[in-house]
Amino acid sequence: MQIDQKTMEQIISLVLKQIAGQTGGLADATAKNDNMSEHTFCEGYLPAKKSTNPKEVVIGVGPAFQSKIQHTINGLNLSEVLKNIKAGIEEEDMIPRVIKIQKTSDLCFMALEGAKLSGSGIGIGVQSKGTAVIHQKDLYPLSNLELFPQAPLMTLELYRAIGKNAAKYAKGEKVTPIMGKNDPMVRAKYQVKAALMHIKETEQINPDLPYIEWR
Amino acid sequence: MLIAGVDIGNSTTEVCIAQVKGEQRIEFLSSASRMTTGTKGTVENVAGIRAALEDAMLILHLPVSALQVIRINEATPVIGATAMETISETIITESSMIGHDPSTPAGFGQAAGTLLSIENLKEGKAATPYIVTATEEYTYEEIAGLLNQAEEKIDVVGLILQADEAVLVWNRLNKKIPVVDEVRYLKAIPENKRAAIEVAMAGQSIRMLSNPYGIATLFHLSGEETKQVTPIAKSLIGKRSAVIVQTPHGKVKETILPAGELYIRSDRIHTVPIDAGAEKIMEVMRSAGEIHDISGQEDTNIGRMLSQIKSGMGTLTGETNDMIEIKDILAVDTFASVPVSGALAGETCMEKAVGIAAMVKTRQLPMQRIAQELQNQLGVSVQVAGVEAVMATLGALTTPGTMLPIAILDLGGGSTDAAILDEAGKVTYIHQAGAGELVSMLIQTELGLKSRTTAELIKRHPLAKVESLFHMRLENGAMRFLNEPMEPKYFGSVILLQPEGFIKIEEDLPMEKIALVRREAKRKVFVTNTIRALSAIAKDNNLRNLSNIVLVGGSAEDYEIPEMLMEEFANYKIVCGRGNIRASEGPRNAVATGLVLSFLEEGIHRTAGGISADR
Repeated sequence: MQIDQKTMEQIISLVLKQIAGQTGGLADATAKNDNMSEHTFCEGYLPAKKSTNPKEVVIGVGPAFQSKIQHTINGLNLSEVLKNIKAGIEEEDMIPRVIKIQKTSDLCFMALEGAKLSGSGIGIGVQSKGTAVIHQKDLYPLSNLELFPQAPLMTLELYRAIGKNAAKYAKGEKVTPIMGKNDPMVRAKYQVKAALMHIKETEQINPDLPYIEWR
Repeated sequence: MLIAGVDIGNSTTEVCIAQVKGEQRIEFLSSASRMTTGTKGTVENVAGIRAALEDAMLILHLPVSALQVIRINEATPVIGATAMETISETIITESSMIGHDPSTPAGFGQAAGTLLSIENLKEGKAATPYIVTATEEYTYEEIAGLLNQAEEKIDVVGLILQADEAVLVWNRLNKKIPVVDEVRYLKAIPENKRAAIEVAMAGQSIRMLSNPYGIATLFHLSGEETKQVTPIAKSLIGKRSAVIVQTPHGKVKETILPAGELYIRSDRIHTVPIDAGAEKIMEVMRSAGEIHDISGQEDTNIGRMLSQIKSGMGTLTGETNDMIEIKDILAVDTFASVPVSGALAGETCMEKAVGIAAMVKTRQLPMQRIAQELQNQLGVSVQVAGVEAVMATLGALTTPGTMLPIAILDLGGGSTDAAILDEAGKVTYIHQAGAGELVSMLIQTELGLKSRTTAELIKRHPLAKVESLFHMRLENGAMRFLNEPMEPKYFGSVILLQPEGFIKIEEDLPMEKIALVRREAKRKVFVTNTIRALSAIAKDNNLRNLSNIVLVGGSAEDYEIPEMLMEEFANYKIVCGRGNIRASEGPRNAVATGLVLSFLEEGIHRTAGGISADR
C-alpha cells in the first residue's frame, strides 16, 4: 500500500482530532474544562485495576486534584506534592502508582480505595487541599495508619516523609510515625478556605466514573 | 484460732490466713497480695498490709478483727541499687571515617578514589577514579543529571550524599556505582583526599572496610599502617555502608576512660580499677574473704553511686552513712551505645561498660514500728517473727516433691538470696547484690532504650512482630492469627505480649536482637549470681552437695529464668524448679506461709508475748 505525504497528513490530522476530542479537557484543563462534560473526563485514561505487585504503594488523589485545583491550601504545587510523595516511596525501593478516585472526596475512603487497588495493600490518600492519610486495605474506613489532618501545616518535606513511611509500612518494617504538627489557630484561619476547597472537590464527584491511572 | 502471715517485699506485700487446729495442725484458708506501699521497712507499708489483709479476709467473709495474731517478717535489711559506667570511648581525630546504617544506601560493592565535590565536577581529570560528594542543596535529579553528563569525561566510582536520596539518584544513574547517603556532616569531608566507600548487599554487612586487610588493599597500606587502621575496621563491623577517608594524620583511637577505683575492705583493703572489667572485679570479690565494706574513689561515677546508695539507706533507717556498709556487689560486663566523638554521620559505637549492682546492709529495719502501728490500727496482736530467709525456706518446703536438705533461691528485684535448710534443721543463708533491676539496666543500656520502664517490660514479656493486621510472628517462630484486626498503631512493629494486651516498642530494633540481649542479660545476672550464692553456703562450698533447689520470689515467676537455672543445675544433678507453695501458690507467698508454719513451732502459749495485746 502506498502512503504518500498527503494521506499521511490526513491520517495524522484525523488522529489528532480524535485525541483532542477525548483528552482536551485534560491537556489544558483550565482553558476548555468548563464546557467539557464531566462524564468524558476519564476518557484517555486507563481504568485502574488491582495490582498484584507487592512492591507497589498507591497514592489515591481527589476528584479535583490537578484538574480543578492546582495548589494545596497553603499554596504548594500539587505536582510538587505528588513528586515528593513518589520520591519518598522510591527511595525506600518501592514503586509508586497514582490513581484518581472520582467517586468520593472523603479522605479516608479515597485512601482506602487506593489501598485496596494497591499491590501491597498500602495506600496514601491526598485531598486536593493537601490533607493526607496513610491507609491499609484491611482497616476500617475511618481508621488509618497515619493521619495528617492539618493541611495548612504541610510542607514538601512532610510529603516526602509520608511517601517514605507508607513504603516502610508496605515493606512490613518498623515505622516511626512522623512527628505531627499542630497549630490551634489553623482552624480559625483556614476554615473558610478549607470549606470552599472541599466543596470544589466534592462538586467533581461522579460515582459513575471508574478509578483511573493518573499521570 | 485464725492467724495471718504477712511478708513485706520490695514490690509486693503478701499475706496468708490460716486456722490453727490444736498443737500440730494448720489449715490454710486464703491468701492475697498487694503492691507494697512506700519503701520496704517503713511505716507507710501499713496501708498495703491492711489492704492485703482485707482482701484475704473478704474471701472468708470475715472482718480483719476476727484475726487473733498477725505475724510479720523480720524483713532483711538489704537494699539494692544499680549503676553503669562506660570504660572505653572511640574518638575520631580529623574526619577519617564514616560508618553507619542508613536505611537505604544504594548499589553495592566497594570502590576507592579521590574525593571530589559535585560543584567541582568539571575539574576532574580523566583516568582518575573519583568519589563524588553532594550536599543536600542538590536535588536527586540534578545530581543524577550532572553525573550522567560527566560520565564520558571522568571516572566516578562512588557517591556520598547528604540527603536521604541514594536510591533516587541510583535509579537515575546510567553507570551504577555504590551510593552512601544520610551523611549529616558532609561538609567536614576534605576534598582531594583518597577515600574508600563500601555498600553491602541487602541483608548483609560490609566486608571490605571492616577488615584491616581490606582497607590495606584499597589504600595500598604497609604492614605498620595496617596496624593503625585496625580500630577503624573494628568500629565498622556490622554496618551496611561505610566511607573511610585517608587523611595523613587522621586517627581513630579507642581510649580507656579513667573510670575510678573500687575499694573492697575485708581484712585489708583491696583496690580494683573499674576498667579492669567485671571478671577481674568479681575475682577480687571472691578472693577477698568476708567483706566489711565497699567504697569507690571519690569524684568518680562509681564513688558517687556507692555513696548515694548509702545515704539513701541512711535516710530510711535514720542511721548515719558510716554505719551503713555495702556488703556485696555484682559486676557485669556490658556494652553501651555511645555517640562517637568527631563522627560525621552521627554514628554510635558499642563501647565497653561495666554494670554494677550493690547491696547495703544496715543494723535493722524499723519493723517494730510497723508492727506497733498495725496493732494500733487493727486492734489485733502483731508479732515480728523470724528471719526472712528461714521463713522462706519453711514456706518453700510446702512445695510438693521437696525434701531435706533443701536450698531456696529467692530471686527478687534488688537482691538474690539463697538459704539452705539441712536435715538437722540448721539454716544458712546469704544475701547477694544483683537481681531483676540489674537485668533491666543491662537491657536498657545494651539496646539503647530511652526509658527503664520499656526495659522492665521487655524483661517480663515475650516478643512478637506484627506482620499484618491479622497475624504476627512470635519470637519462637510460630505464627499467631487473630480474629479481629489489631489496632493500626501496632502495624509493622515489634510488640510485647502482655496478658492484658500488646505493648509497642517505639525503638527501631529487630525482634531477634531484643530477644538475644534480654536472654543474655538474664543469664549474666541470674545464672552467675545463683551459682555464686549457692557455692558460698553449700556444704564445703560444693554445689554437688545440694539435692533440691526451689525458686521463689518475683523473678521466679519469669517465663525463662527458671528454665535457664534448671538447665544450668541439671549439670550438677540437682533437682531445681519453680516453687509451688502449698501446691497452689506458685513461687509466691513462701515467706507468709513460713510465718504461719513457724507459729506452731514457737508454740501457741507464746501468743500473748510479742507485742503485748492491750485490748
